Amino acid sequence: MKKRPLKSSIMITTVALAAMLAGAWLAATYRENDSRAVLLPDQVMTLFPDPKPLTAFALTDHRNRVFDLASLKGKWSFLFFGFTHCPDICPTTLAILARARDNIAKDAVGAENIQIVFISVDPNRDTADKLKQYVTYFNAALLGVTGDDAQIGNLAGQLGAVYQVAITPGMENYPVNHTAAVFLVDPQARYHAVFTPPLDAEVIRKRFKVLRELEGAKAT
Amino acid sequence: MIWRHPVFAGLTLALTLITVASEEVGVSVRDAWVRKTPPGVAMMAGYMALRNDTSQSQVLVAANSPGFETVTIHRTIVKDGMTGMVHASQIELTPGASLIFTPGGYHLMLMNPKRTLRAGDRVDINLEFRSGLRLPVSFEVRK
Repeated sequence: MKKRPLKSSIMITTVALAAMLAGAWLAATYRENDSRAVLLPDQVMTLFPDPKPLTAFALTDHRNRVFDLASLKGKWSFLFFGFTHCPDICPTTLAILARARDNIAKDAVGAENIQIVFISVDPNRDTADKLKQYVTYFNAALLGVTGDDAQIGNLAGQLGAVYQVAITPGMENYPVNHTAAVFLVDPQARYHAVFTPPLDAEVIRKRFKVLRELEGAKAT
Repeated sequence: MIWRHPVFAGLTLALTLITVASEEVGVSVRDAWVRKTPPGVAMMAGYMALRNDTSQSQVLVAANSPGFETVTIHRTIVKDGMTGMVHASQIELTPGASLIFTPGGYHLMLMNPKRTLRAGDRVDINLEFRSGLRLPVSFEVRK
C-alpha cells in the first residue's frame, strides 16, 4: 500500500497557485531552473520547469525484454499505470493515448521518438502475453510493462503514482486502484510533465508539440 | 353502479394501460454503447444517457443481460489520488433527471461476454428499476 507523498500535496498547491499567476502562460513562465510547476490554462497538463531525473529501476516489457532507465532515454515516454482487468478507465485512457500518438505522428516531427508505456500494477494476472494482446490492440506501437511489486513501486514512487492491489484468494475480480494520470518523461529520463484526467487526445498532441519544440530549441 | 358498467370498466382499463405505457416510455436511454475490448479481456463497460420523464422518482437497482455473465452498476471514483471503482447499489433519478454513464464515471461493468463482440454488434442489457419497471436497451459495440 502506498500513500501519496506529502511532496505531491505541496506540488498540487504550488500548481494551483501557479495557475492563478499564469496569465501569459508558456513563453512567459517557462524558464530554466524555475522551480514553479506550471498548470496550463486547460488544467490538463502540469509542467515541471525543473524536471526530476529518474533513478534506476528494472521492469520487463511485453516481449520479455528488460525495461529500465536506459529504455526511457532518447525518447519522450508517456507512462500510464493500470491493469488489464480494468473495464473503464484503463481502456479509455489507452484509447486516448493511442489516438494522441496517431495525431502526433501527423505533426512534422512525428511520433518516432515517443513511446507510450502501459505499466501493469497487477503482475499476478498480467503476464507478458496478456499485456502484449492488450496493448497492441490499441496501437501496435504501445508497450506493456510490468515486474515485481518492489520495482513497480520503485518507478511509481519516483513519479508520485500510487496504487493498491487487493488480491483476495478465490476472487477472480479483485479490486485494483491506481493513479489515473499520464506521466511524461523526457528523453533525458527526467519526469517532465503530467497529464491529469479528463484527458483528450488532441489536447495532449497540442501540449506535447509546444513542449517538444521548446525542448528541441533548448538543445541546439 | 356505474363502475360496473362495461364501458366505464373498459375506459378505466384503457386509462390504466395508457398510464403504464407512458411510464415505460417515460424512462428513456440514448446513446447506449459498449467499448470493444482487446482479445481475451473479460471485462467490458457499457455507457448510456438515462433520462426519467415520468412523474415519479425512478431508482435503478440492477441490470442484467443474456450476453454477459454478470452486469454491475459501477462508478469510477478518485480517492486518495487513486482511481478505483465502487458498486452503485441504487441510483435515484428524480422526475426530469438525467444521468450520463460515461468513461471515467458511472458505467455498467460487463463481465465475461458469452460471445466475441465485434464493432457494430448489438447486445441487449435490461435495466431494472425498483418500481418493477424493466427497460430493455440495445447497446452498440464500438471500438
